[in-house]
Amino acid sequence: MTLAKTRKLPFARLRRIAVIAGHAFTQLVRMKVFYFLGIFALIAIASNFFDLPQHDGPETLGDHGLDFLRLIKSWSLGAMTLFSVVMGIVSTALLLPKDVEDRTLYTILAKPVPRIDYLAGKLLGVLLLLFVSLALMDGLMTVMLQARLSVVLEVQTALGNARGWDQASRESLRIDTLAQGPTWALQGAVAAVFFRAAIMAAIALLVSTFSSSTLFTTVVSFLVYFIGHFQADARDFYLNSDRAGTSSAARYLATAISAVFPDFQLFNVIDAVIQGKTMELIQFVKLTLAALYYVVVYTVASWFVFSDKEF
Amino acid sequence: MQDGWNKPVPAVEIRNLVKDFKTSLKREPLRAVDDVSISIEAGEVYGLIGPNGSGKSTTMKALLGLVAPTSGTCSIFGKDSLKVDSREDVGFLPENPYFYKHLTGIETLAFYGKLCGLRGAMLKDRVGELLALVDLEGARDRRIGGYSKGMLQRIGLAQALVQEPRLVILDEPTAGVDPVGSRQIRDLILKLRDRGITVFLCSHLLEQVQEVCDHVGIIFKGKMVKSGRLQDLIAIEDQTEIVLKDASPELISEIEAMVRRSGSAEWLHSGKPRTTLERLFLRETSGEER
Repeated sequence: MTLAKTRKLPFARLRRIAVIAGHAFTQLVRMKVFYFLGIFALIAIASNFFDLPQHDGPETLGDHGLDFLRLIKSWSLGAMTLFSVVMGIVSTALLLPKDVEDRTLYTILAKPVPRIDYLAGKLLGVLLLLFVSLALMDGLMTVMLQARLSVVLEVQTALGNARGWDQASRESLRIDTLAQGPTWALQGAVAAVFFRAAIMAAIALLVSTFSSSTLFTTVVSFLVYFIGHFQADARDFYLNSDRAGTSSAARYLATAISAVFPDFQLFNVIDAVIQGKTMELIQFVKLTLAALYYVVVYTVASWFVFSDKEF
Repeated sequence: MQDGWNKPVPAVEIRNLVKDFKTSLKREPLRAVDDVSISIEAGEVYGLIGPNGSGKSTTMKALLGLVAPTSGTCSIFGKDSLKVDSREDVGFLPENPYFYKHLTGIETLAFYGKLCGLRGAMLKDRVGELLALVDLEGARDRRIGGYSKGMLQRIGLAQALVQEPRLVILDEPTAGVDPVGSRQIRDLILKLRDRGITVFLCSHLLEQVQEVCDHVGIIFKGKMVKSGRLQDLIAIEDQTEIVLKDASPELISEIEAMVRRSGSAEWLHSGKPRTTLERLFLRETSGEER
């Protein structure tokens, strides 16, 4: 088979995107981004001791065991959100300008590589990094939570015996306690963390197609992140309220903001999971579709800008 | 490759290329390339020469679709440069390339090979072949970050050749490279010519262009001021050069007297031809290299 013919093979395009994604992933890994996992491990382990003056374990907590498990989840998911959003934005903001600066972009685009393939590959590389990182953090959190859950359950059993609780009370507490351990809803919350970081990576990709520096891309992306958390409130305030005095300009502005910026309040489900609530499947599907929608929209917008860009 | 009328399709066809760059809102746009036309037949080595900022790199970028022409057209083997498929038959080495420092030589070539659709044994064979061609087999597993300038240029040339293109575009291929590395790159260009690969290079190192190119174009302030076959452009039509070996002074006097007697020709000068400083340098340093 000639070299020219291999380029016409089926799925050649998907393979090309996979090559760019795999390379972006390797590039980021070799930049030692996984060092932050060590910091996460420290936070996850340290969360055992927060708010405990004598560094006591859960066994001394007695009926505060549920709060203790919530604390582990809260700290772990908080750290996951922080790391994944920072990593998603900074990694994406770094990749494109670096390729332009080093002229490696010329050598790639001088090959038969469509620009959308290049962008999609870079974004998928970052998403792969986020996925692997979150999977590792999730694993660590789950192990820690499971270990502490066992201890809390044992303490509760002992406490129930000592205080003479009836079977129904014991069972009710056990169910409440299990809901605070590693559950499918918790995995759904980790997925929501991933989705939010993926949207931020797609936004950073869009900004980096017209930005001239990594710093600008990073700052603007974080700005969008914060707007994304408040835009739903602003939209409701201006569009859904019947307040007199809301000008039409303000309404248009609110509509424009809600069309351009992502609505991150959809992802507040994470807080509910930390409190031990379950996540319905339909809720998870909605989150997945919303994330997919935002990622596709921002990637296509990136392509529009990047396709006419001159180097 | 031939078109419908059995006329060979040129490897490169640039017609009336104009490229303006916007500077600021108030100022006039900067014209980097002004009505440049170039046609390169398959198998030729074409050198585009000119001072810095004369429009050489912009012309090459327009040919590769990295910038869009303000007016005019560029095509590679008959395919419009703005279309992705025109890049199937072209390899490009930019000026001062850096590549990915975290990759080794072999990983770099494999990455570019995979981008072009190569896989498995075919990719492995091609990467091995290219490393041998550019004499980097000894550095195949070393990270690019540790490569010298000359090695970077050679790995760059190897990546440009990975999909066996019929056209190779080289932007200042020996910029910043020492004379030994420069000679290696020049030899590689000659090897490519022997294999029938069309080479389009730009440089401001005139001696080097003279050694490897069949055709040249001189670009100045964005305009093509002279182009044609190198030998035609540099020949001094009314002079003839005779080089003798082991000629005695008597023989030279005799020839000189014969020329003067003829009346139709003028004796200009005789003397020993000189080697170039570059050749002297290469001869004196070749022992260290080995």
